[in-house]
Amino acid sequence: MDSVDDISSMFEAESIKLENLISNATTKSELSLHEIVETYYQIMNVSSMITMLKTQLNVDEHQLLLNKIEEIDKVISGKFNSTVHPQILEQLTKSIQDTTKTLQSMGTEQKSKEDTENDATLYEELRKKMSTKEFVEQYDQGLSND
Amino acid sequence: MIEGFAKNLVQLKKEFAKTYDGKSQIQEVIPISKSDLFPINQQNLELLHQFATKNPIYYNSFEKTIGNTPCIVYEGDINKYWLNSIQHSSSNAPFSPTWIMSAYVGVLFAKELGYQEVIDIGSGDGRIAFCAKVLGLESYSIEIDDMLVDLQKLLTIRDFHPYCSDAITFDYSSLNLIQPIFFIGGLAQMGGTALASGVLEKIDSVTNLKNTGWVFAGTYSQKYPSDPKNEAGWGTLIEKNNLQSIKTLSLPTVWTFHESEDTPYIFTQTI
Repeated sequence: MDSVDDISSMFEAESIKLENLISNATTKSELSLHEIVETYYQIMNVSSMITMLKTQLNVDEHQLLLNKIEEIDKVISGKFNSTVHPQILEQLTKSIQDTTKTLQSMGTEQKSKEDTENDATLYEELRKKMSTKEFVEQYDQGLSND
Repeated sequence: MIEGFAKNLVQLKKEFAKTYDGKSQIQEVIPISKSDLFPINQQNLELLHQFATKNPIYYNSFEKTIGNTPCIVYEGDINKYWLNSIQHSSSNAPFSPTWIMSAYVGVLFAKELGYQEVIDIGSGDGRIAFCAKVLGLESYSIEIDDMLVDLQKLLTIRDFHPYCSDAITFDYSSLNLIQPIFFIGGLAQMGGTALASGVLEKIDSVTNLKNTGWVFAGTYSQKYPSDPKNEAGWGTLIEKNNLQSIKTLSLPTVWTFHESEDTPYIFTQTI
């Protein structure tokens, strides 16, 4: 196993990355799909590290690292789970509704080949939003089961 | 002969996919004339072209020789049907068709097996039922999505009997079936298992039919969970319902256009 110093610095780096992503999520009015996926992956990455480290560290030898873990755990369960995550889910739901309405209002009249192929990119965008929402909902499901 | 036909079609699709540089959401090809590779009655071939030409899901077509086979390429878009299908929770799987030529080959094999009626379950635009009619079999097309059934009604160049109905509750006894084969739409992992189980149960409860045929569209893609009993996702259902596998034909479909593996159609019958 790596030394505690190695683990500690790796956890520190991943935590900073996570805090930056959460900060970005709280300051931006709307996140791109890429930013949403990146944020959730980092949440899952750091959460897994926390679970693993908690079983391997002991209070007497690794108090500092355990304090840091406790701090980040609170950021995830508090700030992220109760504020940022519901906002992201709401943003995705609204965005899917808006794109769906736009597509439904585009009419069914005969279109040119070019128009049909341009419209197809909007449908592709809707599919990506729906698939991202499914991914976010899986995280939500995990929270409900906790 | 039919296996060779299927292999030639898969080869044609591979050649086409290598050179296709269009932007359409869906695309497929139909040979222009009868040939050694595609020994189809010319009149039937004309009907397949009519089905594609009249079908509003296709917005463009052009001639192209693929390998040594002169073909018509049909380019289309099914997005609006997908959008409609996701609004209805009753529809298990969004509409995504097999190729018209694949529908023809599948039904040709069903005919060779001696079946007299084809029931196309979750029929989309009704192309399997249409091909059955072209090949002289009786056919019925059952689709839950009303927008797709309206589309089918535009395509009854041969009357393949479109029904807008939930296939699980449909009254099959009203069709007076003698020796039917059921083509189940949708992959096992995309709601197909629930659909097939429901129809198998219904048929068992309302008819005394023996040796009915069941055809399932499978997948070997790692995108989907595999079935412990294999059969491209259908093994458990096949075993549970005491079905016997007869043959698997690999055929091109819209959803495997960019994939190296085509869609395995698993032909089974009740024991």
